[in-house]
Amino acid sequence: MPDTEKPALRKPQKAFYFNTSEHLLRIGRQKANNLCELLEALQTCPDDSIFQHTFRTLQEHHFIRQGFSNDFAHWSLFACNEPALAEQFASVDVREFTAIEGLRRRMIEILDEFLQSHNRTGSRQAHEPFYFCAADIVVLPTTFCPETLPGFLDGLNQVSVHSIHHHFIEARLRLHRMSNDFSQWLEEEVGLSDAADSIERIDIYANTLEGVRRQIARIVSQAMN
Amino acid sequence: MSSEDQRATLTAGSVADAQVPDEAASNNSAPALPHPARRSTDRRSNRPLPASVLTPPAPPPPPHLDDYKSIVGQSQLDTLRFLARDLKGKTIKMVNSTAVGGGVAEMLNRLVPLLSELEVPTHWDVITGGNDFFEITKAFHNALHGAPYELTQSARDIFLMYNEQNRERMQFGEELVVIHDPQPAALIRSRSKSNSSWVWRCHIDLSNPDAKVWEFLRPFVEQYDAAIFSSQSFARQLPIPQYLFYPCIDPLSEKNKELPDSQVQQICDEFGIDRSRPIVTQVSRFDRLKDPVGVVQAYKLAKKYVDCQLVLAGGGATDDPEGAVVLQEVKEAAGNDPDIIILDLPPWCALQINAIQRASTIVVQKSLKEGFGLTVTEALWKGKPTIAGAVGGIPNQIVHKLTGVLVHSVEGCAFQIRYLLTHPEFARSIGVNGREHVKENFLMTTNVKRWLLLFRILEETKARRKA
Repeated sequence: MPDTEKPALRKPQKAFYFNTSEHLLRIGRQKANNLCELLEALQTCPDDSIFQHTFRTLQEHHFIRQGFSNDFAHWSLFACNEPALAEQFASVDVREFTAIEGLRRRMIEILDEFLQSHNRTGSRQAHEPFYFCAADIVVLPTTFCPETLPGFLDGLNQVSVHSIHHHFIEARLRLHRMSNDFSQWLEEEVGLSDAADSIERIDIYANTLEGVRRQIARIVSQAMN
Repeated sequence: MSSEDQRATLTAGSVADAQVPDEAASNNSAPALPHPARRSTDRRSNRPLPASVLTPPAPPPPPHLDDYKSIVGQSQLDTLRFLARDLKGKTIKMVNSTAVGGGVAEMLNRLVPLLSELEVPTHWDVITGGNDFFEITKAFHNALHGAPYELTQSARDIFLMYNEQNRERMQFGEELVVIHDPQPAALIRSRSKSNSSWVWRCHIDLSNPDAKVWEFLRPFVEQYDAAIFSSQSFARQLPIPQYLFYPCIDPLSEKNKELPDSQVQQICDEFGIDRSRPIVTQVSRFDRLKDPVGVVQAYKLAKKYVDCQLVLAGGGATDDPEGAVVLQEVKEAAGNDPDIIILDLPPWCALQINAIQRASTIVVQKSLKEGFGLTVTEALWKGKPTIAGAVGGIPNQIVHKLTGVLVHSVEGCAFQIRYLLTHPEFARSIGVNGREHVKENFLMTTNVKRWLLLFRILEETKARRKA
């Protein structure tokens, strides 16, 4: 059987600028003492609160491999003792959304349906309130701006996990497309479409961010060789 | 040897402020008092205190930024330097009410040199006041935590008079002025003279304050550009932005630095702790809110099923009348169990506390009410499976069953002790996660980062307003 021919690697025209984003947590005005109040707050809270409790919480707990997907799921389980609702919230993959509004609608839809079928639970007091927060974000450069694929791999291995989150997970909201900065650069600048696709398919919920980094590095290394 | 003698109950003299300095939120507004003469044995003379803890050691020099590289990595230090680059030469003033003693002073001792090393010159000023002022601010502190208090006009006048005296004495030419806690809150009256951004850093829990005291302070707080709290649940509804800065530990301090195993062994030997058997430890003042008696009860329930020792290490029992009563209650609860080791240590025993935490199989912090709970942070940083009460700031640190275990009762605590001692793989995994959680959120370097971020955000806001 003939070997599949590998695509020729192009020399990138543009460097890859590894950036990182740092977040300062703001305490929001809304809080929920029960699931009905959560629903109301989900409908009215600012977009950056939805971002904080979904995208950002993944970053804050990047070292946990399982059991922590977003703050709504966590609170539903541990403060409201509603495992079925928690599972539904937890099943929402933030990478299916390129704008916060869609993610907000999905969360509202899940909770609304749950409360319609469990109408007594909505006003039951939670063990502890859900405090809505948000974050002020500052994007910073790093010392890595490689112009070659080996340089990209080196940068990938050395930047912080915050940089990985910035380029791999948050990027969707910036790009407004179902991709990430790494895949986009590898595809557009180096011609590695398959590697770009493989990277896009990495499961962020079954991996730590360090695990994600290792998988990206492995895919890029294989493509180089 | 009697069974009572067999149980190691070690103590040295301590003062009211001699709690193991575990809690930024517990900063006592009173200036540091001299320590009374220390006894070299416990009150029942049953075991001499090791000579190594009788006198305070000389404080080590503060670390430099590069000293943290092996802990947080070069990329984190690069981030701090990038953040500081645009602030180069801009200055910060920190103002609090005490230069020594308490968690705030401890934190500022490390934060100020690190910010200055990043070329963001940071000055630390301490307000002065008479005993009348500090008695009132101590009462305010307790009232803001919910204790009953009758606010009088005289108390208001004294508070304002000393704030006014300090305001006249101090200059506020820095770009960022940070006022810590309620004592100097009225210094905000100097704001109109300066072009500075003013921030109120509140280290205490305002979730259930005495209404009159809070209504007295609120108009001052509302004049700041922003307020900072240690937990979401500690904040109030205010018309200014409120930020969340978790308290932090310094991984290079005596309390938290890595220790060679030989040193851990030596310190355990001095205290009669047997490292060949499981060790369950709680580090805290002898204070009912830390529920040391509940810990003894949980240990006794667990011991029916698993072999272990219990170490209760803390301070504050010798000279604090209530602490002495609580210590007595703990001893009575312990009875004649030789595996319960009660250590009433002086406040400078950070290294010994470090060693005991490192030697522990499990760390417990079964508080009934808590500020942030930095003893939990310390335990998590050492990778210890930690069981803690779900109160105050502890749930910010312990994500149940992922970075530790939260409990609500003696029975729950007992079960978790049994479970963790018999499921070492699970215990190890929550210990690993707990350490990562601290590395990400609760280290001094993260604290430096938060201050730089806030400073940048406030400078940008100021620039936008001017434009």
